[in-house]
Amino acid sequence: MLSLLLWLAGMMFEFLLLVRSVQTKTFTKYFYFYAYILVVFTVSAALFIGRSLSSPFYDAWYWPTQFATLAMGCGVVLEIVRQALAAYPGAERFARRASCAVFAVTFCYVEWHVVRRTEWSTAAATVELERDLRVIEALVLATVLAIVFYYRIELGRNVTGMIVGFGAYVGVSLTTLALRSFVGPRFDTAWALLQSASFVFGAAVWTVALWSYSPNPAPPPTERNDAGYDALVHGTRAQLQSVRSSLRGVARS
Amino acid sequence: MIGLLLYLLVGIGLLVVLWLLARREGAPVEGCGRQFVEARQALRTLQLGLLPENLIERIFDREDFRYVMAAGPGEISELFLQERKRISLMWVRRVRCEIRNLMQFHLGYSRLHAKLSLPTEIRLALDFTLLLLACRALRILLNARGPYGAGAVVGVMTAAAGRVCAASEKSLAFLNPPALESFRRNSAGDGAAI
Repeated sequence: MLSLLLWLAGMMFEFLLLVRSVQTKTFTKYFYFYAYILVVFTVSAALFIGRSLSSPFYDAWYWPTQFATLAMGCGVVLEIVRQALAAYPGAERFARRASCAVFAVTFCYVEWHVVRRTEWSTAAATVELERDLRVIEALVLATVLAIVFYYRIELGRNVTGMIVGFGAYVGVSLTTLALRSFVGPRFDTAWALLQSASFVFGAAVWTVALWSYSPNPAPPPTERNDAGYDALVHGTRAQLQSVRSSLRGVARS
Repeated sequence: MIGLLLYLLVGIGLLVVLWLLARREGAPVEGCGRQFVEARQALRTLQLGLLPENLIERIFDREDFRYVMAAGPGEISELFLQERKRISLMWVRRVRCEIRNLMQFHLGYSRLHAKLSLPTEIRLALDFTLLLLACRALRILLNARGPYGAGAVVGVMTAAAGRVCAASEKSLAFLNPPALESFRRNSAGDGAAI
């Protein structure tokens, strides 16, 4: 009963989000995000109708559609990277490279595990794939957030909501998937409930944050030539060197 | 088991970072002019407030202590040492604060550059972190050895101040050269130790 309520609540939030995106014309501004919501809504609605008509339909289509929404979730992460750092080309480049490195390392680690495995099962493999993709998403989100904190980048309400909502869903999914693989099938009920609840929470955050268009505050207009950056780095390095040698002198005394 | 712990760590870590993001107060969007003024202010604080030759000499010179030792009773010497220690610690705290200001300036400006270099930024971040840690270590040293346990600070810091300020002038020059030039002319002979 509770899982059914969560399912319906999730669909209601998704529908609201889609309606508001059309009303406020934000669909084109956050294209990948709304494409994800559209896919999730379509899948949820189709599975809901399919389940009430015939149980085998649901069983046959659950894992393939789960895979599709997982893949679309990566698009949301890319949207977050793009939107959060759009006005800061340097920081954006930094995030893109760091994210690629995170993705490559995690992917290699997962591949190495898959190659070593002797047994194969579709459900288990999809759950593991979901867990590994969630790890990548979590690490990329954490990288973006580290850059946002480090460079003190101001985010608008829309992007903050996107990050908090999706991050909460990914964080809870990852934690529960890890626990599920450890505890086993007796954790399945709790796992399904927690995952649905975290998605409903994320969808509620998105609905509030994306109710109206609120872009990131624009950075100050400034000179961005390459010589400027070189001079800045040179100057900062020289300052650091000076302070370092002075502190070394104090420590020796 | 190790895998489980790693996954849990990533998941819970992300939730903690999100909580910090949700709690973060909206930092003002700093304009170029404001950054310039703040950086200039940090530089002037280092020049005038923290590193003038006579101030540093006064804080770390043993002469005052010798005089108090010779002229007054032991209690006064003890009190004098406590006060000097307090002042020297306060001084290190302020230097640390100014290093942080310069760091903020660098970050505030570099984030806007398309040419921003990942290895350079990582190295600089490491350098800033090490320097801030060094300041902390210095505080421990002063706490443990007292204000006169860091006697060579005067000469070294005075020399370093010149280099810090010269480098900062260079770093700020590209932001607003005419304004900087007028600052430089106005600040000549202001009594700083450089």
